[in-house]
Amino acid sequence: MSPLRRFLRTPEAFAGAILLAALIAMALSASLLFPGDPQAIAGPAMLPPFQDWSLPLGTDRLGRNVLAELFHGARTSLAVGLTAAAAALVVGAVVGTLAGFAGGIVDEVLMRITDAFQTVPSFLLALAFVSVVGPSLGIVVIAIALGTWTGPARVARAEVLSIRERDYVAGARVIGMHPLAIAFREVLPNALPPVLAMSSVIVAAAILTEAALSFLGLGDPNRVTWGGMIAEGRTVLRTAPFLSIVPGIALVLTVLGVYLAGEGIVETTAVRRGLS
Amino acid sequence: MSGFTISRRTMLAGSAMLLASTAMPTSGWAQTPKKGGRLVLAADSEPRNLNPAIVASNGVFFISSKIVETLAEASFDGKDGLVPRLALSWEGAADGLSVTFKLRDGVKWHDGKPFTSADVAFSALQIWKPLQNLGRTVFKDLASVDTPDDLTAVFKFAKPTPFQLIRNALPALSSVVPKHIYEVGKIEDNPANNAPIGTGPFKFGEYKAGQYYRLAKNTDYWSKDEPYLDEIIYQVLPDRTSAASALEAEEIQLAAFSAVPLADLDRISKVPGLKVISKGYEGLTYQLVVEINHRRKELADVKVRQAIAHAIDKDFVVKTVFLGYAATATGPVPKNDPQFYTADVPTYAFDVAKANALLDEAGYKKGADGNRFSLKLLPAPYFNETKQFGDYLRQALAAIGIDAQLVNNDSAAHIKAVYTDHAFDLAVGPPVFRGDPAISTTILVQSGIPDGVPFSNQGGYKNDALDALIAKASETLDTTARTDLYKEFQKEVATDLPLINVAEWSFISVARDTVGNIANNPRWAVSNWADTYLAG
Repeated sequence: MSPLRRFLRTPEAFAGAILLAALIAMALSASLLFPGDPQAIAGPAMLPPFQDWSLPLGTDRLGRNVLAELFHGARTSLAVGLTAAAAALVVGAVVGTLAGFAGGIVDEVLMRITDAFQTVPSFLLALAFVSVVGPSLGIVVIAIALGTWTGPARVARAEVLSIRERDYVAGARVIGMHPLAIAFREVLPNALPPVLAMSSVIVAAAILTEAALSFLGLGDPNRVTWGGMIAEGRTVLRTAPFLSIVPGIALVLTVLGVYLAGEGIVETTAVRRGLS
Repeated sequence: MSGFTISRRTMLAGSAMLLASTAMPTSGWAQTPKKGGRLVLAADSEPRNLNPAIVASNGVFFISSKIVETLAEASFDGKDGLVPRLALSWEGAADGLSVTFKLRDGVKWHDGKPFTSADVAFSALQIWKPLQNLGRTVFKDLASVDTPDDLTAVFKFAKPTPFQLIRNALPALSSVVPKHIYEVGKIEDNPANNAPIGTGPFKFGEYKAGQYYRLAKNTDYWSKDEPYLDEIIYQVLPDRTSAASALEAEEIQLAAFSAVPLADLDRISKVPGLKVISKGYEGLTYQLVVEINHRRKELADVKVRQAIAHAIDKDFVVKTVFLGYAATATGPVPKNDPQFYTADVPTYAFDVAKANALLDEAGYKKGADGNRFSLKLLPAPYFNETKQFGDYLRQALAAIGIDAQLVNNDSAAHIKAVYTDHAFDLAVGPPVFRGDPAISTTILVQSGIPDGVPFSNQGGYKNDALDALIAKASETLDTTARTDLYKEFQKEVATDLPLINVAEWSFISVARDTVGNIANNPRWAVSNWADTYLAG
């Protein structure tokens, strides 16, 4: 049985894959279906959903098309989630590999830095960073990565600690490979799978953090974000609840989809490992 | 199980009856005020310094105007729009060099000491002139205050000062604080700044940070039967969405200063037992203004500024951003001002084609991507409406090929960015019109203001003709001539557009039916509430 078919046979992974595929389709088609600025005023303000079929999900307080905002918001969420998670994984894997492979004083220093970052709640760190530097998409990505790279770093280090004692690493040493080459060519690739298994959780957390930052008004104001939409809708929660509920549902489904798909991947790989 | 259902139903019915009885409309509005009771209301900010003589701002007045009184208060029907408070009468000399105040007899400070002209002299010379944010300009030429007897204070000015200006400044700028408390030590560090002592109908009770301010009745108040209320509690509710639910749950009886979001008013006006009141803020008009940094070469061109003015649909802003609770603006003086406003100024109708033509004429052609140039737009974060207008303005500018990038800041960072660092191209600001253009309006366009003065011309705008006009008006004593100069001022501002006035708005109160004598003067929310009462 191919890994893909095995993956799709677990029901939660299947559901996750569908949600994720829908999200990616939304993000990719945003500019095609809703060209131009999604924040442009498209109709009367506060139109409820399902009233006007050119504006199926209604409009917000300024008369902006909620559906267009939702599609373009998917793009922001996905972009921030993926890049922040990628940055966190790369930084974490490199730091963890260096610490685990070098050992001694390098290990001590790097791990104490990791500790320092871990003691500060990651959301607080992101909040402080964005409020000092000023909100823009790149800064938000860095802010999220800043609080999430420590998990991958610890996992990578633990994995490297066991791998570096293997025979093939000793062999590489004997043939005179440069220690850095051993670390990144021989050790790191083998330490990666458990680190990558964390990616779904990190992506989901990054999407949520981005939404929370935008909700607090610390997102990029020139881009549509789901968190920002919820924050704007909050002031009219009693009169137009759909303005908060629609992006809220999108956010829940996205995080759920990313998480389920991630779980599915972990399970599939675990089964494969168990079989081999 | 069935027993439970029945008992729950009876209980529900019982509570419905209870609800109905409390919702029963109290018959008639013009009741005789009832004594006693505790008024609980929402407060959305917690000012640290509660001394209104130093910080003349609405956030401070909201609480401290009940404790510390001014010489006169604004009024709908009084002469020159004033009613006496601590002063009984005021008279300006013909040469503009002195103003004589006759003070009220038998007034006592909250600590029992008598109130005299020495307190007025001390407040004016030691606090209003050197320390107060607004008094610094209005009282800049005040040289001395003579006190021939305990109930007379004569303000002497070094240069002729228009009596009209002093009169218009009385409600907001003339809070009198006790000399015997403030004469020891540094005025800024006096403990009475946080627990004010005044002559007002209410005494300062206590303040619990993040929870409430409590004011207690002054039983020794000079107006014999007043105040009617025993206590006022300011419940701190920083979250704007919570004020509406608190009103519905009868946790609070009043939410002033639009603590209930505009979008919720329509719904809440239908809740039995609650009323929505848009009166009582006529003297506190806020102006929605696009501040312009004239250091940008594009914006230094008047054609570009006119184009921006033409690109803004003011009616849309009033209808959508303010949901109708505002008026479109024509110039730097709001339409509801009875003394100075003139409609005879150039206006800029919403006309995108004309705006585009003006920009083409100015030499800023659209590039391949449809943009002429980029701007940094900083909406002030103080109000939901200023932020929303920022979102709207970005779209309005996009329609004429100007790419505006929004920059959001918190209050402190916004003030620094705009008024100290000048790190903006356009900003959205909410200046306040305080009854006379010389108090806080001319400063928005006048040149020569040092960096860092908030709510002033920090856009590098300099217009000699306008500066001369402002200088002339500030020394013109004749009321009619002075008023005419300010009409000319409005015309000049609307012609040259140092800033763009978009709309004028004020606040909305939501109260329970039982709260009486609401909105009975143009500065009601920041007046002394001696006659406010709770019926039923």
